Amino acid sequence: MIEVNEHDGRVAVVTGGSGAIGGAVTERLRNAGALVHVFDIQPSSLSGAYFHRVDVRDESEVDTAFGAVGKSFGRIDYLVCCAAIYRPAPFLELRLDDWQRTLQINLTGYFLCCRAALRFMRPQKFGRIVMFSSMAARTGGVNTAHYAASKGGVLGLARSLAIESAASNIRVNTVSPVITDTPMPRAVLSDQEVESRKTRIPLGRIGSTADMADACLFLLSNDSSYVLGQDLRVNGGSTLW
Amino acid sequence: MVASDPRVTVVTGGGSGIGRATAIRLARRGDAVCVCDLSEAGLKEIAALIEPAGGNLLTGVVDVRDQSQVRAWIAEILERFDKIDCLFSNAGVNARSTVADMTLSQWNLLIDTHVTGTFNFCQAVLRGMVERRAGSIVTTSSDFAIVGVPNAANYCAAKTALYSLTKSLALEFAPYGIRVNAIGPGPIDTPLLRAGRTPEEYENARGVFESRLPIKRLGQPEEVAAVVDFLLSERAAFITGQLLQPNGGQVMW
Repeated sequence: MIEVNEHDGRVAVVTGGSGAIGGAVTERLRNAGALVHVFDIQPSSLSGAYFHRVDVRDESEVDTAFGAVGKSFGRIDYLVCCAAIYRPAPFLELRLDDWQRTLQINLTGYFLCCRAALRFMRPQKFGRIVMFSSMAARTGGVNTAHYAASKGGVLGLARSLAIESAASNIRVNTVSPVITDTPMPRAVLSDQEVESRKTRIPLGRIGSTADMADACLFLLSNDSSYVLGQDLRVNGGSTLW
Repeated sequence: MVASDPRVTVVTGGGSGIGRATAIRLARRGDAVCVCDLSEAGLKEIAALIEPAGGNLLTGVVDVRDQSQVRAWIAEILERFDKIDCLFSNAGVNARSTVADMTLSQWNLLIDTHVTGTFNFCQAVLRGMVERRAGSIVTTSSDFAIVGVPNAANYCAAKTALYSLTKSLALEFAPYGIRVNAIGPGPIDTPLLRAGRTPEEYENARGVFESRLPIKRLGQPEEVAAVVDFLLSERAAFITGQLLQPNGGQVMW
């Protein structure tokens, strides 16, 4: 019963699929036989996935890329939204440009991709959407007002979309990671700071990309058939709500 | 652990509904499954479902409220299997009433079964898990740990307490590598959903649930079992202290 590979032949789009978490999801789906399309501004180093250069802020680029996938592959089954940036800045030094850039990529990009994917998912009466939010949506954080706001917006977007789409057999859920071992936090934190984060996490380590891919694959799979509008918090126990 | 050494999983309230579906699923994936229930008939049913398929099953009639019964049964499991890897603390009961008319025994029945029963089982299995520095526990809380509903103050209070217990256990035992999570099922098509309702009341409730739920249908026990399976497994190795809600979209928070 568990051995049946339900992902085989599914058409998936992973935004930010060239990044660490998106790449882990892409690899898992590809290995399971899904036809995975990576939408990113950076090329993917993974073989066996289809790369599309897409800036998720750009409405026409997004619509064109989804249209191309939908047309040539006949359907779009899964959408995983991972494309995001994290550029911490003290609030009083936060320029409107930085605020808007974060909101445009992390939130508006999700909106545009969901809307474009739903144009295929609705008529085919099947769809699975997983959006990556962040524990920062709940906890906030120092120098991360723009990032936390964008990730909080993702939770609201996902819940509304979950309610609107449930009747079309489309399930929408989110994953909220805590600090994960990827280049994104390491770009702004020293090794020592990363190490000290572990002491704040009850399970005694930071997240791995495999942890996040496991959560994402669960939410894409039939194992979560009655789970919708939920936020799966993959955080080692660091925040319990 | 050698490959031939099966995972040993304890399921309370496994004679029907969510517990039964979970026990069946885990037995199929190769766990040695230890199922208790108050109902001997329920245990006979599950034995008939698991044993002919070659599943490794131990059953026991246990009142989860009774600490000495719980301890004796856990000792019996350890004698047979040497260890317990996973616990699904799921035994539940309902006794619907307005608060104004609720008897103390209706109140106590729910608190004792859900909360004290889970305390009893967790305490009994955690000793061995701490020694082995490994283990995973899932408790059955409810959407009603987050929202209240009328005619179920005892149920809501019990499920909220159970959720709090789960979070505290998660923090207390994380240093030993033991994970503790809760599920918050929405309306699932089980005998418990019918409990305390006449057939007519049940049909009405079902209609209300279905129209109000985003997914427009009741959940099946197997759909909850899949979530329990996930949380108990290594796929959820970095998830602890969380409430995961297979609820058809009933509550999102």
